[in-house]
Amino acid sequence: MDNKSYNPFLSAQKQFDKAADLLELNNAARDFLRNPMREFNFTIPIRTDDGSKKIFKAFRIQHNDARGPAKGGIRFHPMETVDTVRALAMWMTWKTAVVDIPLGGGKGGVICDPHNLSLYEQEQVCRGWIRQIVKNIGPNSDIPAPDVMTNPQHMLWMLDEYETITGGRYPGTITGKPLGMGGSQGRTEATGYGIIIALREALKELNIKPENTIAGVQGFGNVAQYAIELYNKMGGKVICVSSWDNKDQKSYAFRKKEGVDLKELIEITDSFGGIDKEKAENLAYEVLDGDKWIEQEVDILIPAAMENQITEENFNNIHPKVKIIVEGANGPTTPEADKQLNKKDILIVPDFLANAGGVICSYFEQVQNNMNYYWTKDEVLSKLDMKMTNAYVSVSDFAKQNKMTLKNAAYVISVDRVARASQNRGWI
Amino acid sequence: MEKSFNKINLINELKERAKELNCLYEIQELLNDKNKNTNEILNGIIQAIPPGWQYPDICKSKLTYKDIIVKSEDFDESKWVLSSDIKVQNDIVGKLEIFYTQERPVCDEGPFLKEERRLINTITEQIGSFFFHEELKSVFEEKKQTQKVGNSEWWIILEMLKKTDPKLLIRISRKMVNYLCWKGIDEAETLFEYFDPANPNDKNQFKETNFPVKAKSESDSLNITEKIIEISNKYLSEKEIFDNISRWIKEDQSGFIVNILGNMGSNFEEISSVIERLFHMQNQGTELSPIRRKNLKTTLIRRLLGDSRDFVNTAKNFLEIDDFYELINKTIYPTNSHGKYGGKAAGLFLSKHILQKSHFSNEHTKNIKIPKTWYITSDGVLCFIKYNHLEDISEQKYKDIESIRKEYPYVTHVFKNASFTTEILKGLSNMLDDFGNVPLVIRSSSLLEDQPNSIFAGKYKSLFISNQGTKNERLEELSNAIAEVYASTFGPDPIEYRHERGLIDYNEEMGVMIQEVVGKKVGKYFFPAFAGVAFSQNNYRWSGRIKQEDGLLRLVPGMGTGAVDRLSDDYPVMIAPGKPNLRVNVSIDELIRYSPKNIDLIDMEERCFKTVKVSDLLYEYGYEYPYINNIISLISDNYLQEIRKIGTNFKKGNFVVTFNNLVTNTEFIKQINSTLNVLEKEFNFPTDIEFAHDGENLYLLQCRKQSFGKIRRPSKIPYNIPKEKILFSAERNITNGTLSNITHLVYIDPQKYNQISDHSDLLAVGKAVGKLNKILPKRQFILMGPGRWGSRGDIKLGVNVSYSDINNTAMLIEIARKQRDYVPELSFGTHFFQDLVEADILYLPLYPDDYGIIFNEDIYNDSPNMFPKLLPEFSSLSDVIKVIDLSSESEGCMLNIFMNENESKALGVLCNEAVETDDTDSETKQSEKIFVKPDPDIHWKWRLQAAEQIASRLDPERFGVKRFFVFGSTKNATAGPGSDIDLLIHFTGDQNQLKDLNSWLDGWSVSLDYSNFLKTGYKSDGLLDVHVVTDEDIKNRTSFAIKIGAVTDAARELKLGTELN
Repeated sequence: MDNKSYNPFLSAQKQFDKAADLLELNNAARDFLRNPMREFNFTIPIRTDDGSKKIFKAFRIQHNDARGPAKGGIRFHPMETVDTVRALAMWMTWKTAVVDIPLGGGKGGVICDPHNLSLYEQEQVCRGWIRQIVKNIGPNSDIPAPDVMTNPQHMLWMLDEYETITGGRYPGTITGKPLGMGGSQGRTEATGYGIIIALREALKELNIKPENTIAGVQGFGNVAQYAIELYNKMGGKVICVSSWDNKDQKSYAFRKKEGVDLKELIEITDSFGGIDKEKAENLAYEVLDGDKWIEQEVDILIPAAMENQITEENFNNIHPKVKIIVEGANGPTTPEADKQLNKKDILIVPDFLANAGGVICSYFEQVQNNMNYYWTKDEVLSKLDMKMTNAYVSVSDFAKQNKMTLKNAAYVISVDRVARASQNRGWI
Repeated sequence: MEKSFNKINLINELKERAKELNCLYEIQELLNDKNKNTNEILNGIIQAIPPGWQYPDICKSKLTYKDIIVKSEDFDESKWVLSSDIKVQNDIVGKLEIFYTQERPVCDEGPFLKEERRLINTITEQIGSFFFHEELKSVFEEKKQTQKVGNSEWWIILEMLKKTDPKLLIRISRKMVNYLCWKGIDEAETLFEYFDPANPNDKNQFKETNFPVKAKSESDSLNITEKIIEISNKYLSEKEIFDNISRWIKEDQSGFIVNILGNMGSNFEEISSVIERLFHMQNQGTELSPIRRKNLKTTLIRRLLGDSRDFVNTAKNFLEIDDFYELINKTIYPTNSHGKYGGKAAGLFLSKHILQKSHFSNEHTKNIKIPKTWYITSDGVLCFIKYNHLEDISEQKYKDIESIRKEYPYVTHVFKNASFTTEILKGLSNMLDDFGNVPLVIRSSSLLEDQPNSIFAGKYKSLFISNQGTKNERLEELSNAIAEVYASTFGPDPIEYRHERGLIDYNEEMGVMIQEVVGKKVGKYFFPAFAGVAFSQNNYRWSGRIKQEDGLLRLVPGMGTGAVDRLSDDYPVMIAPGKPNLRVNVSIDELIRYSPKNIDLIDMEERCFKTVKVSDLLYEYGYEYPYINNIISLISDNYLQEIRKIGTNFKKGNFVVTFNNLVTNTEFIKQINSTLNVLEKEFNFPTDIEFAHDGENLYLLQCRKQSFGKIRRPSKIPYNIPKEKILFSAERNITNGTLSNITHLVYIDPQKYNQISDHSDLLAVGKAVGKLNKILPKRQFILMGPGRWGSRGDIKLGVNVSYSDINNTAMLIEIARKQRDYVPELSFGTHFFQDLVEADILYLPLYPDDYGIIFNEDIYNDSPNMFPKLLPEFSSLSDVIKVIDLSSESEGCMLNIFMNENESKALGVLCNEAVETDDTDSETKQSEKIFVKPDPDIHWKWRLQAAEQIASRLDPERFGVKRFFVFGSTKNATAGPGSDIDLLIHFTGDQNQLKDLNSWLDGWSVSLDYSNFLKTGYKSDGLLDVHVVTDEDIKNRTSFAIKIGAVTDAARELKLGTELN
């Protein structure tokens, strides 16, 4: 582990610089967008169960709110660094911009290990966090959400503290709430469906009918399952899914040439997306080595498991028939593999566009909160479809116009949108 | 059909017992009826008897008392008779006989039941005591009439004794003399000589006390008695005399008790009958003196429960003789048994009473229950071996471990096909009737388990049986299980363990406990709501905020087997009862991944022990599962929600076992905390308990010493070590300790191990490690391997080894390589881990993929591998198993390992020389210090009082003493049994005075030393350490003078001469 020098914020800035070069942004714009607009560093004192006092260090970084209130999660982590939080806040700015929702980017965190805290103490950390930052967040300025080691329970404590201090009900202060407590329908489906909506648009451009396509999926968690569901609805056929076997400590690919049956597979899958190998064999699935998912004779590959899965070493195993890769996971393709795939004319739908369904749904949650009126699941999903379609089309158009890859186009378009908003406000 | 048959059987038995009791009550009533004369009473008894017997219609009775004979109507003698003598003060005065007029099937004693034997004995005993009282009464009346001047009652009693029981009279006289002498009455001492065996003038008289039947001696002794009475009358009050005499008479009646219970050689049957009689006698007002009671109960404890010093010391504070009654009534033993109950049974029995009686107890501990338990005495196994001619197997333990392991299945087979003696079978059958057809657990209770520092955790088998079906099937299942438990004595693990502890030459006698399984029937299953183990000391702290004394709880739903053993990849819920809110699993993912997924239970239909998925059980029986809302939570919307029985759809939803409600909404944690606390305080040792909860009550299943290991000192972590010298570093879950002189390294490559696809190859890795364990230099090698060592279920998780395969290693290292985002679970807190701690094998988890951790893979990969040379037969595994000789590898290098819990750091360093390790002496001392009962501060108090005495009697003018001080341990209240008393004397006199003073103090010194010797057994030349200082010393502040008026630890001045006139 010699990556001591690795600084996530520096590499995020580097990535931004590339887009800025392409956009020929002026120095003021670069200086402004390279850094967060506001950083809050504060401490949270709590009284522990045994009566002693403990102090925690906490952050909130608002990278940019030119297009709307900052949006981003709150992480509880013992090794949290401000640079990680900065990088993630910037990433949120681009993510909200690429799907064109009126929100900015932010991130927050508390340096703490929940393993060392009782639930009561965690509640105090949550409430303490709000007390320190209450003036600087809210439905109109900055909207937190759950992230690493925080869950809806933490969000409800935070919301309650916010509402107690401000003396009203403002459910739009925080997203990721459970249903019935201001949460939105369609949240579980959003990311998986979003991936397939993007895929549908990509196929349209290539003039391919979804019902004539075959796909292979890596991973079988929540996202992959809903992606397959919608893809099946559109008439597509998945012939191979891979999943991690926790017992054997390796992954397996499950193949059925006539198409996997989503329902029967879900029935033999645990809550982490692990498919029971023996039961799958009984259901006439071929159980292959996990790497084999990439070699299948399919039109579409959907890596929806984890990062760095398609690499320089294995991209050559990809079947020549493959036309589209939709990045369901974050960063499944390494930059080197990316270049090679572009040479092969394989269309890659980039991660922060493809998997933006989640953040769009958070936006919808907030919208519903603010008007205190809640949509049905169908309403939510059809609005999601509209947002995703528009986002894909504009990125794709931009890419064609400027002869660049979807990945670059998505990045440039979002930086452009944020830069313009800031410029229009007269900031830069 | 069978079931109802069994029920009928049971009901019949109960009816029998009820009949017997009725009979007894009726007779008691008759005997106490003051309106009836003797004849009426005896006739009544004769009529009351037949209904109490099994076949009343053909039952006739006959009672003979002196010349009175009473019989049933139509009385006819036959050959089927049960008879018992009526005794008054040990003389046979009559007889009660019970006849059956027709033949009936043979039972325990001819056609009679053994309960009927007991009944007739009790009846004659009561009749006997009735006649005794009658006689007393008549003597009393007689006296009253002859001596108009009403003499006192005690006189009458003595007169009566003269007639009826002169032996007793003499024994009482003797006691009276003792009493008088003890009171300091000189006159009595002349009498004392009369009884004194050393008195040469009167040897005959002494003899006569032993043979008082002779006419001469009787009159003699009566003369003495009169003298004694005369003297007593002079010095003692009437009440005092009367009280003493009546107490002595009562005590004398209990002589037989002392003879049996006071004798370590008494057999079980005798003890059992005495305890039973004692229990009944109490209801008739017979009492033992407290001192006698104490003496007897200590003997009983040593005889039946265990004779380790600590155990007896604790047990005698909590157990009474009566308490043994419940134990003995549920004990099965071979004829002429000299067995005991064994450590586990004794521990549980004592714990139960401690929880009730300790003054640390509270309502929480008092509510804890113990399941109904039966016992088989420890010599049952010997009797079993003898009966089946299996003596050869006893020699098994002297074979080498490999043959033991190979032959063990055979031993089990042979044992299971052997049979029990009829008496044991009969006992088991009775026991089954008592239990009814509830599931049972058969646990071993080894005698070696109560040896200090030996904990045979999980070494012997505990087996569950469903106990369903016909009586014969149940008996068969039960005896099979007991045989299997017996066979486990000869398994490789216990034998290896005993070798190590130096216990191999002891005969392994093993008691057996048969307990009702705690639980409820839910559908076709039977299980407790939850169960687990708890330790009063926590050796696995997942958070730095948890302290050792916060304890550790391992909880599972259903039966507790999963909490004790490490089976497959399931996880118990761990809680530190002192910090119940700091949980191991915090995020939702962790909760789902690491919560118990399986539940152990008994399938009553298939009659077997089973493991099923919690989710499947909930699906089917969620609503019936007792206490379910305290066991599981619902994960919905990605967070945990409490469940309520009402409104929960168990067929749908993601449920996870968290025990959250149990912790927050019930008294359970308090109950466990108080239990551990009380037991640890009273046993004066860290405790380890097993428990189960049926949704209503918490049951204690087992209690024993927690294996604790030595308390090791933190190691000083060296800094500035060149990186290439570091073999590994670690920063998570570090304990304390230092290892040096490690010459060999056994490294199981985690990646290569993971790549093995053939199951038999995986097993072979474990076997090879077992062999290396025998070859490599003991305690000079360490084992490093992937994941969990000793994984019994999924072998992929870690090398399959048992304790005897690793017992020679100095350290066991578990390597948790990151697999995707998941790090394998390591083996903390299981039986296996406990073995390590106890065997003083250090344990260290390595997380090589953590940030900033050094894991010098080159050394493992590039060093020459000795393995193929050592074990050529396993050479196919040589790329998986590496054995590295560090000394040859790096020019005489050795591996030193430093671990420091506070700094949470560990380092494995290659050095050219060994580092100093903790010396074992100080380690043990330290651990002793921690668990020595807070010494009652008698030593310093007594010393300070002595110093004050000396000062108060010291004449300052005579000895030229100005001031008198005490300092040191006496002053600081830290004096121990061997401490001296430091005195400081400000002396202003002359040489002669000094000489006088010294010799005066010497006298004190010697006599105080003697009394200290009597108190503690410590002896020295004198207890006083006197320091004399002069004015000059004080002025110059030389020598001990600095103690006077010092800022810290100043000597304390005592007042002089206050006791002088």
